[in-house]
Amino acid sequence: MELAAKLKHYRLNQAEYEKIKEVLGREPRGVEWALFSALWSEHCSYKSSKIHLKKFFNKTERVLESFGENAGVIDLGEGERVAFKMESHNHPSYIEPYQGAATGVGGILRDIFTMGARPLALANFLCFGESRAPRMSQLVDGVVRGIAGYGNCVGVPTVTGQTEFHSSYNGNILVNAFALGLFRPHMKIVNSRARGPGNWVVYVGAKTGRDGVHGASMASESFDANSEAKKPTVQIGDPFYEKLLIESCLEVMEKDLVVAIQDMGAAGLTSSSFEMASKGGVGLTLHLDKVPVRDQTISPEEILLSESQERMLLICEPAKFPALKAVFDHWNLDASVVGEVKASKTVELFWRGEMLCALDPDVLVERAPLYQRRYSPWEARHRESKPDKLLPVVEDANEALLQVLRDLRGTSRDWVYQQYDQRVGGATARDAADSVAVMRLPDSGRALGLVLGCRPYVMRWDSRQGGMDAVAYPALELAAKGFEPLALTDCLNFGNPEKPELMTEFVAAVEGMSQTCAAMRIPVISGNVSFYNETLDQNVTSTPTTGLVGLRPNLQAIPASHFTEKLDGIFLLRLPQVQLSGQLAELKPGAPMVGQGEIHAHAVAGLVRLLIQLARQPYVHSTRLVGKFGLAYALARMCLPLGIGARTAAGDWFAEVREPARSLFCEHLYEVLLAVDRNQETALRELIKSLAVDGLKIFKLGETGGDRIVAGRALDIPVSEAKRAYQTGWEAHFEGLE
Amino acid sequence: MKIGVKVLPRSEVLDSQGRAVEKTLAQHGKTVAACRVGKYVQLEIDAPTQEKALEQAREIASFVLYNPLIETFELEVVK
Amino acid sequence: MSGSKRIGILRFLGTNCDRDVWQAIEAVGLAPEWLWYQDRFEVSRFAALILPGGFSYGDYLRCGALAAKAPVMASVREAASRGVPVLGICNGFQILCDSGLLPGALVRNEGLRFIDQWVELNLVNSCPAFAPQAVAKTPSRLPIAHGEGRFYVEAEGLKELQDQGQIWWTYADNPNGSMANIAGVMNREKNVAGLMPHPERAIFDWMGGDDGRSFFTSLV
Repeated sequence: MELAAKLKHYRLNQAEYEKIKEVLGREPRGVEWALFSALWSEHCSYKSSKIHLKKFFNKTERVLESFGENAGVIDLGEGERVAFKMESHNHPSYIEPYQGAATGVGGILRDIFTMGARPLALANFLCFGESRAPRMSQLVDGVVRGIAGYGNCVGVPTVTGQTEFHSSYNGNILVNAFALGLFRPHMKIVNSRARGPGNWVVYVGAKTGRDGVHGASMASESFDANSEAKKPTVQIGDPFYEKLLIESCLEVMEKDLVVAIQDMGAAGLTSSSFEMASKGGVGLTLHLDKVPVRDQTISPEEILLSESQERMLLICEPAKFPALKAVFDHWNLDASVVGEVKASKTVELFWRGEMLCALDPDVLVERAPLYQRRYSPWEARHRESKPDKLLPVVEDANEALLQVLRDLRGTSRDWVYQQYDQRVGGATARDAADSVAVMRLPDSGRALGLVLGCRPYVMRWDSRQGGMDAVAYPALELAAKGFEPLALTDCLNFGNPEKPELMTEFVAAVEGMSQTCAAMRIPVISGNVSFYNETLDQNVTSTPTTGLVGLRPNLQAIPASHFTEKLDGIFLLRLPQVQLSGQLAELKPGAPMVGQGEIHAHAVAGLVRLLIQLARQPYVHSTRLVGKFGLAYALARMCLPLGIGARTAAGDWFAEVREPARSLFCEHLYEVLLAVDRNQETALRELIKSLAVDGLKIFKLGETGGDRIVAGRALDIPVSEAKRAYQTGWEAHFEGLE
Repeated sequence: MKIGVKVLPRSEVLDSQGRAVEKTLAQHGKTVAACRVGKYVQLEIDAPTQEKALEQAREIASFVLYNPLIETFELEVVK
Repeated sequence: MSGSKRIGILRFLGTNCDRDVWQAIEAVGLAPEWLWYQDRFEVSRFAALILPGGFSYGDYLRCGALAAKAPVMASVREAASRGVPVLGICNGFQILCDSGLLPGALVRNEGLRFIDQWVELNLVNSCPAFAPQAVAKTPSRLPIAHGEGRFYVEAEGLKELQDQGQIWWTYADNPNGSMANIAGVMNREKNVAGLMPHPERAIFDWMGGDDGRSFFTSLV
């Protein structure tokens, strides 16, 4: 093959080829081409993002493991620790939605249990296009079924998530899977650093087939008109097999039979073996002909690059191998010795006795190119200072509320979440119906809160503010239920990093996130970057997804997200920083959302501290952040579950706002609704005063009760009518999906 | 020798998958009188004669491959 | 807990509600013990047996079919015939049906989708071992989580279930198209029972309800 053709085949550019020659001191040969192609891909090397990811605030006393391991781990105290991470499976899910989404769940679970943690919860962040876009109802159906098919079978509950819709995702959906695992006090954290010359390299799990060969480098490419034709590289998942792997791997780790372990994810055996050697500072010999294969005609290069699912590579002391093998036998799985750890730092690959290559693992893992892609300093955009332009056009607030409750962006997600087993494992205290999922920690009885973040419409307004909001909003959601936010994982979904305007958005979002994390002392402990989310030059909305974990001392009296009592006082806390015309503005084509102001992370951190205290007071019955579509929508959502109305006619909010009908639909960052025991208003006001948050305003809106949603003279509709709109909206958009 | 085992839901059992396929076909103007969705299991059996192979397949099918309460099965020799 | 009664919890490859049932059994003060799918066991050691939910063998071939052939089922059969109380929950119910220990079969939900939600159930006939009339709440609120929970039995079979008082629980609002709204049934002797809803997921208030507790307290 000629050089140009070779570079194209292995998706390497001329400069990278020069660098390969430089690190090797010679021309690459044989399987080395495939190795460099895989490990120097964007997907494995983070070559465009690494420089910026280093800016993340990532250390607190709670952080036990972070980047560099399969997942980050934080200490919850009392011997309990959790590992969590989020990862994208966008491209595979667009090509084959069921398997793409299913294997996304499988892959993220392996990242968790390879650390030694038992998976406790799953969550998903999904971004789809318009319901009428080509293939979209099939994509929605396939992705949801795929997540359900895998997660339900493997027995890990899917407890929360976010489902977004926007035309920018029409040709490139986003499927980000989050998983969290628990270390109980007796469980050890296991890492992926190969150690101990003479120790054996053991292959466990499914046999290797041709699935997903070149998957890692494919994920680092934009879609083109031929994406349909790429189907053969899609991997097939087997959740039943994964369940056996979870149980057997946790058992060998608990019995202290493994030295190190890593799953074979992107770039399969190549990345797992070279990374384990590089991290451990050792060498390995690997006999590729000893790798169990599904098809005898598979080539050594394909074995190296296969992304067959449900496989693990582990290092084991020879004396412990019989005990290890017995555990896998018990679970009906094969374990094969495929190599050995060596003191000299070289990975040697053999095929039927012949050496295919011998490379220093650092050359592939540590010396991958790092790019400082071109970008510009962030400039604020879509600003509007005229108060009138900041309010969305609303003629009839009743109609507008029903419209947003029926709109795909505002309507019930029950169709999605009812397909997920949300309770398997016996630890779910609050499921996806709530704004924060809550899991009970079995040993301490404390509560763990999970929430996903990033609001793409805020990103469309301003990448920097959107990045800040991707941390601030979920942190406030946790705080509003009395959880202290502890740490964060992210999944940064962006377009082509080689385009300066895209890289500018990336850098702005990362800086915004990092600044907010630092102000709130929420470390970023793990994450993933997905670039090239574009099809035929159309970029997706830059979407830096986040997953936050919080802790609360108990499960008692966690505020609901809806009204639970009649005659509670309804209050609104507002920290006025940004005013957005709200997502209602986006309903009208050609009318982009506008806003003014900026987020001040330290002030928001103050609001987080206040909310944590408020939400631990038994007299605070319900809390909810005001988000998309503004106050009217948030109020309605609080009324719907139990059919308890809201009478907000006489409150002091109405004295303050201009044009209540329109103000009910614009959005302030940040606002929180509270429903409080009516006899405790004084206590509430005193607590808020004592934890002074600069600039915070408190409004009394009215009280709960009745069966109508009433806001001054602007809004008055029966709860039942709003509920009908909320519950039938989904069907109206996806008629074909029963 | 390859023996195919065709398993179909019994006619008196509502076949929800078959119904869904039928409806979709109808939506595309491809009307069929009925549609049932079952499964197909292929067994590779080492036996001296075709009769013996079929006998073995029948025994295996009755052992676990189908549930007589809700399903029926048929055997075929795969050429 | 050495003095308390021993409850056997069966584990097949792919069972995934085993720890949940263990938690429920411990919560009511009983002594759980694992029973592995490949092993026979001494029937007389157990006050009751529970087949938890999950996806035994990935639901491949037909839900419950492969587990029903596991070696441990010979002991379960023996226990059932000796009158030991046996409870199958969700996939456990499917296994008991496929093995013939309970009448009927569970097929794909009418809507073809997996359903996770809380449902209301009415007690039709009392099961002496699990949630008997005296302690059961009716209606009870329990979660369901299944894709193949539509109970089916032939017309004569249904009549027999009705005549013999073998219908255990019915759904107040049928979620999956089950025949006669059936959510759970018993064998004729009423020592073997199965239901699709998950009582072990409703043991503590923090789970969203505790109506499932009576299914286990009655074994104490």
